[in-house]
Amino acid sequence: MIATMHRPTRSVMQEIPVIELVQPMPGFPDLARFALVQVDDAGVLCSLTSLDQPGLRFLVVPPAAFFPDYTPEVEEAVLSELGSESVDDLVVLCVLTAGESLATTTANLAAPVVVDTANHRAVQVVLDDPALSVATPLIA
Amino acid sequence: MLVLSRRAGESVVIGDDVTISVLEVRGDVVRIGIDAPRSVAVHRAELLAQLEQSNKEAASPSTNAVDSLLEALRSRNGSADS
Repeated sequence: MIATMHRPTRSVMQEIPVIELVQPMPGFPDLARFALVQVDDAGVLCSLTSLDQPGLRFLVVPPAAFFPDYTPEVEEAVLSELGSESVDDLVVLCVLTAGESLATTTANLAAPVVVDTANHRAVQVVLDDPALSVATPLIA
Repeated sequence: MLVLSRRAGESVVIGDDVTISVLEVRGDVVRIGIDAPRSVAVHRAELLAQLEQSNKEAASPSTNAVDSLLEALRSRNGSADS
């Protein structure tokens, strides 16, 4: 039953340990392979940990827990770039910049990482929406 | 760098399938239209620079920062509203 598509769920993070970026993240041109690792017990905080450069990782969170109104529109081109068969396979994650405290920690809403949970490919999508910031306070 | 002078309404074609048109020139603002295949990413340069900077700042947070973030998230989840 390998071809069966599974629905994205909260526990999906544990099911997709290794993902491949179809485009490198801006600023990190040589890195394509990352492990998606759960950092806290609740599965809210995860990390994208580079498999190419030891010690490099990004903290990521599913935005719904912090930004319930955030509904990024992903263009058709992103789906074809990822080779996605269904939007149901896609999970959106936001990159965190950890501050000294929770109050100074920010999330990048302008460029979420979209992960296809079926084929384990991902890309950081640049949304050209002036209302979205690369450094939105995590807690309002 | 190739430098061209164009008037409003005129265009430049790049390769087979990218056309850049000057739509309007008003003061120091030039409105341009870009016609390109969906596979060609078109972004404002400053947004990409911001994103690059943001990614670099986000990369590899210190263990201390991650620990305090975890602690803060835990207490946030633990209390209904605080």
